[in-house]
Amino acid sequence: MIAYLLFATFFGLLLLGIHRKVIARVQRRPGPPIWQEILHMLKFSFKSTWVPVTASESLFVAVVLIAIGIWSAALFVLLAGGSILIIFGIYMLHKIVEHGFGLSSGSPYGKFGGVRSVISAASEIPLFVSVAVIALFTGSLEITDIVRYQQANGPLLFIVPLAAVAMYLVILSKMPFGPFSIVESKELVSGYKTEHFGVWRAGLEVCNGIKTYVLLFLFITLFIGMVPIWWLLGGMILVIITLAFVCALTPMLSPFDSVTVQMVFTGVMVIYAGLLGVFA
Amino acid sequence: MRKKMLLMITLVAGMTILIALSLNAAGEIPLWLYQAVIVIAFPVFVLFLGLWWMAPDREGDIPFIGY
Repeated sequence: MIAYLLFATFFGLLLLGIHRKVIARVQRRPGPPIWQEILHMLKFSFKSTWVPVTASESLFVAVVLIAIGIWSAALFVLLAGGSILIIFGIYMLHKIVEHGFGLSSGSPYGKFGGVRSVISAASEIPLFVSVAVIALFTGSLEITDIVRYQQANGPLLFIVPLAAVAMYLVILSKMPFGPFSIVESKELVSGYKTEHFGVWRAGLEVCNGIKTYVLLFLFITLFIGMVPIWWLLGGMILVIITLAFVCALTPMLSPFDSVTVQMVFTGVMVIYAGLLGVFA
Repeated sequence: MRKKMLLMITLVAGMTILIALSLNAAGEIPLWLYQAVIVIAFPVFVLFLGLWWMAPDREGDIPFIGY
């Protein structure tokens, strides 16, 4: 398990590196090497580290520990084939952690990032509709049952494609440089993580690696099914490349527009779920 | 002193994971307990490892206060 967790951390960081590389190539820049995010994590762990004088010391440190802990827990729930509600509960908890990151630092940039993480909670609503649609068809929220359903009936991607699109949108909102990345946009320096430097940022990078791995693993498991590990890793790379294309070709939306787009999509999803409920 | 304390915390977190790993492999503790130990100890190990190797070995210089 610990070996798998370490693998997930490094592979997740590699996926984020591929994400950056593809964005750069789409924009006709050479871009960093694909292992850049791994180097980032190591680089930050070799930088001088202290707690800013304006920060709430215990919260400032605790959020980093919690961030790594909750995504490690999410990975284990996913591997055990547990309930997707637990994973999405952890996803919601991550919002609170982001908020904690921003508010603990005492920096106005961090605080704005923290406030925006609450605003961007709108991105979670399509997630609930996606979960509702999956539950409607499979009759369960356990990942093992969802996988079993797909073995008998084919991938959910082809049965409920809009639910897959909703989940894709949720993952997109968690990607850096994306249209919904309002929590870390450049006008806020680095948003909620502005003041978390050195080892704190290295910890955050570890969390980002595990989070990326878990979200892509979850997407493939929920909509394609359980596949051999090499297919899974290949599928993750494919999904991250498509996400990178979207991020490279769309501007970052303003917070208001970001929430509006997500709410419109939620409305579409609710109608879709309602129609599926009537005709299923 | 601080560096020693940071090393101690790192070692305790690392050893806790290793002990849980061995106990799980021997069938002494269930998988969920092993995973719970990792969820708590792994973040501590990661952070304190970084804090330990960047902690100075000796007290800092007397700051320059001007001519």
